[in-house]
Amino acid sequence: MTEFMKRLLKTPQGAIGLGLVVLVLLIVVAGPLVAPHDPEKLAPLARYKGPSLTYWLGTDQYGRDIFSRLLIGARATVVMAVAATIVGTLIGALIGTASAFLGGRADELIMRTIDAVMSIPSLLFALLVVNLLGSSTVNALVAVAIAFAPGMARITRSVALSVRKQDYVNAAIARGESSAYIIRREMLPNVIAPIIVEMTIRVSFAVMLFATLSFLGLGAQPPAAEWGLMVSEARRYMHLSAGILIWPSVAIAIVAVGFNLLGDGLRDALNPRT
Amino acid sequence: MIVYTLFIVSLIVFAITQILPADAAVMMLGENATQEALDALRQTMGLDAPIWQQYFSWLWHVVQGDLGTSLRTGQPVGPVMFEALGRSLLLAVLSIGLMLVLAIPLGIIAAVRRGKIADMLVSLVSYAGVALPEFVTATIAVLVFADWMKWLPPTGYVPLTENFTAGLAHLVLPVCVISVILIAHVSRMVRSELVDVLHTDYIRAARLKGIPRREVLRRHALRNALLPTITIVALDVGYLLGGVIVVEEIFAIPGIGRQLIVAIQARDLPAIQAGVLIMAATYSIVNFIADILYAWLDKRIQYD
Amino acid sequence: MLEMKRRFFLAGTAAILAAPSMSFAQSAPAKGGTLKISVDQAASVIHPLLTRVNPEYMITELLYSNLTRLKVDMSIEPDLAESWTANDALTEWTFKLRTGVTFHDGSAFTANDVVATFKAILDPATASPGRNNVGPIADIVAVDDATVLFKLSTAYADLPVSVAYTNARIIPASIATGDLKSLSTKAVGTGPFKLVSYEPDRLIVVERNEKYYDPARPYLDRVEVQVFPDISAEGSALISGNIDIISTIQPTEFLRIDGTDGIDALRTPSGQFCNINFGCDTAPFNDARVRKAIALTVDREAMVGFVTEGFGTTGNDTPLNPSYQFFKSVKQREANIEEAKKLLAEAGFPNGLEATLIASDRPAVRTQLAVALREMAKEAGITINVQTMPHATYLEQVWKKGSFYVGFYNMQPTPDGIFKLLYTSDAAWNETRWNNKDFDALVAEARGTTDEEKRTELYTKAQEIMNEEVPSIIPSFFDVLAAKRSWVQNFEAHPRASVFRLDYVSLSSDAPKRG
Repeated sequence: MTEFMKRLLKTPQGAIGLGLVVLVLLIVVAGPLVAPHDPEKLAPLARYKGPSLTYWLGTDQYGRDIFSRLLIGARATVVMAVAATIVGTLIGALIGTASAFLGGRADELIMRTIDAVMSIPSLLFALLVVNLLGSSTVNALVAVAIAFAPGMARITRSVALSVRKQDYVNAAIARGESSAYIIRREMLPNVIAPIIVEMTIRVSFAVMLFATLSFLGLGAQPPAAEWGLMVSEARRYMHLSAGILIWPSVAIAIVAVGFNLLGDGLRDALNPRT
Repeated sequence: MIVYTLFIVSLIVFAITQILPADAAVMMLGENATQEALDALRQTMGLDAPIWQQYFSWLWHVVQGDLGTSLRTGQPVGPVMFEALGRSLLLAVLSIGLMLVLAIPLGIIAAVRRGKIADMLVSLVSYAGVALPEFVTATIAVLVFADWMKWLPPTGYVPLTENFTAGLAHLVLPVCVISVILIAHVSRMVRSELVDVLHTDYIRAARLKGIPRREVLRRHALRNALLPTITIVALDVGYLLGGVIVVEEIFAIPGIGRQLIVAIQARDLPAIQAGVLIMAATYSIVNFIADILYAWLDKRIQYD
Repeated sequence: MLEMKRRFFLAGTAAILAAPSMSFAQSAPAKGGTLKISVDQAASVIHPLLTRVNPEYMITELLYSNLTRLKVDMSIEPDLAESWTANDALTEWTFKLRTGVTFHDGSAFTANDVVATFKAILDPATASPGRNNVGPIADIVAVDDATVLFKLSTAYADLPVSVAYTNARIIPASIATGDLKSLSTKAVGTGPFKLVSYEPDRLIVVERNEKYYDPARPYLDRVEVQVFPDISAEGSALISGNIDIISTIQPTEFLRIDGTDGIDALRTPSGQFCNINFGCDTAPFNDARVRKAIALTVDREAMVGFVTEGFGTTGNDTPLNPSYQFFKSVKQREANIEEAKKLLAEAGFPNGLEATLIASDRPAVRTQLAVALREMAKEAGITINVQTMPHATYLEQVWKKGSFYVGFYNMQPTPDGIFKLLYTSDAAWNETRWNNKDFDALVAEARGTTDEEKRTELYTKAQEIMNEEVPSIIPSFFDVLAAKRSWVQNFEAHPRASVFRLDYVSLSSDAPKRG
């Protein structure tokens, strides 16, 4: 493990990525505790203020403190994105591994169906799902997870296929273990590393998808401090105060770039050849 | 293969539009309609028939090229959607073109000069590309290039047939916004493929034989590295079609993405069905062509 | 003054006074040119009897004519009708029609077309949203080719105004009694412009009707109505000169373009408002104390800032304000958290209550209002969860059906217009289901009252009942905002927000030439 960490930190991507992600996670954990202001409190006399000692990053259209909103909104933004990615990955990984294990006709059928689902762009798919379920944060999570699942299934399957050929899987089959047991105990653990890499990168996609759903009026509900919602609301007020748009954008960019860098770093660390 | 895909898509789409909380008859007649009028319409539209019967009757019409009538505007959906698709495809093709022109050289430079400043710069560009959602990039682009610099028209759509230069000028910003993210993705892929190939034994062998570096790169490495790019680009079409939705909304381009948003928001079921089906078909066809192209090029490389 | 000008629609005084095309202000407006005007919402419906939103009203106003039309000062002027008189009881109105007018298809316009149009509007099968807004019409008869007689079910002083309603566009009798649906895709009117092309979500193009009854108008050759889904993009398009007029601009964008060279920001006070609708038949909102308690949490001055950026005035939970005729203010409600808590406790919610407030996303001010109310109500222990949704979804699922949501309404031409649109038991959109008999009676009595003082008194009593019962919270009124390039002449923001009068608009010589 320490060996792995060393390799991860040796690449610039890994080091910077890990740094950014740790920073973001710190904000997720401690943000609400250190936020200087109530993120929802209206202040009719303090609207559209620039940065100052009281309001470090200025105030928004309701006179709310942008800095506090960012600190508190980190939970809604990052936790949701990570959760959606994990759920989507789990569903995808299960389908992919099962498909690879079953092989033959079943594999063919599952993969063709996955192809069909993937032919609907994931944003569109998420849109349809949210419309079906009604707009709320949880439904957006479900939508993003469902939209991610087919792609993850595909990736897992290709990794699992190579694992499937390994001796220990054949040994388990020879022992007469059940299919469920083999998938769960023997195959899944071995396909996990490449999936984690893919997952890390996908977290940033999830942040984008959530933000885009908010932009289309189908994501988090105001006055939530979810960053994507903050940016999409800010578009209306950006001509009155640029900070309303800039700061949440910067926050989103940090998360997106952080997870992307970390993903790349992990890939390099897991695959020493390149 | 495509047929199976589209069949599955049609099932999904039909299922979703059936469950969507919306009453087609109420949508058509409006909220002030009387109960009798609603019942009569439901009957003529076949809405009182069993679901599977409705599905097959819909599918039968679709196969014959009849995509139904919009509940919102009362106009046939098919022609509207295909016209919109044409505009979106123009946007998509231009974006892919721009992306290829930029992403492949960037990827090559990054791979060849791996670990050097050039590689870092390319990485920086590609990370910047994935850092923000399209609607933010688009907003910033309009602000900078249209409002402040006044180089380009901010939004709107002018058909190329009506005024070629104006039409093109209106497309510059949306095309750039869409390609930024694609460039980020594809240049990274090209880089990592090329890095992989450069480490293979036969490239090392070629280098050992004394073939110049440039020659090895051009004749052997690039071909093998660029091949998977075809598949990547084809898969990105799915992403592209999704991104088009947002970009079209901001730039007021009446493409299929915008039509779909309007249809989804208005619960215009026939339009949703047609739009999703057309998008899925486009994606499948592009990937089908990419597969054939891949196989063909792959064979050529092997025989080379 | 203003009141005086408004008065001339009343029987007898209506005259040819306001003959159209009498603008001597400057030199005669230049003819020709293409005007590009933007709207922020698709014009999905161009059927003149079925339109529901402002962009749709704009299109049908270009293509069709009413019997009368609203001027910018909210008084009426003749359109297809040249003059009108009523009997003393105000139950029978006779309209003299313009002669020699033709529809776009070449057929002649006669009294029969008027009769058939109004019958179609009143027919429940047509499902026209204007059915209850055109007046209490019991019957309508063509006296001769150029005279129609409206027989009313009750006395009604406002009929000449109500026939200017946005759905009361005159269509040919042959279509009104035949294939009425055909107007969903084509246009056969007597309006100043003819339909060239129609793409609901992008562009609607009309061109000058050479056979329009007034040879002077319209001044423009062509009007292109462009749909902008994104308001920021709309502002950019005006700044760059790609469009000439933004028909309705949001306060935030107004602040952005105001002061820009070559752009005129237009503003007029209005009775337009955003309100919080209660379903008065649904618990807990069936208790007037609960409704009043929520109303008491609203800091109205602050609200004007939050929802209008200062381009508005405070409201008092009644839909009337000084922009309306027959208006007298009732005591202004101020925020009073203690009183709100007390009322809640009396109503059985000593620990506060929780409710979900639905706000559509267009215009964005609905969400702004909802979020601001949420915070204000918090102080009285009321927990409001805001739920937003796309506007079309809202129209299909919540509007008129929900019990706690944000509405947005244009100013109506008369107090009767707004009361009968939203608040009486027989209102066209009786979304509050308030159904207050005393209130209904007052509004009905005012309809048949010509004496202005008496009428004002009746409407003020009606306001007092509303203010006490709070079927909906009206925290503030909006000014109507628009913007144009300076080369556009004779375009004004209209308090009604759904009237545009583009046939009076012309382009000056420094306007860009467009093929």
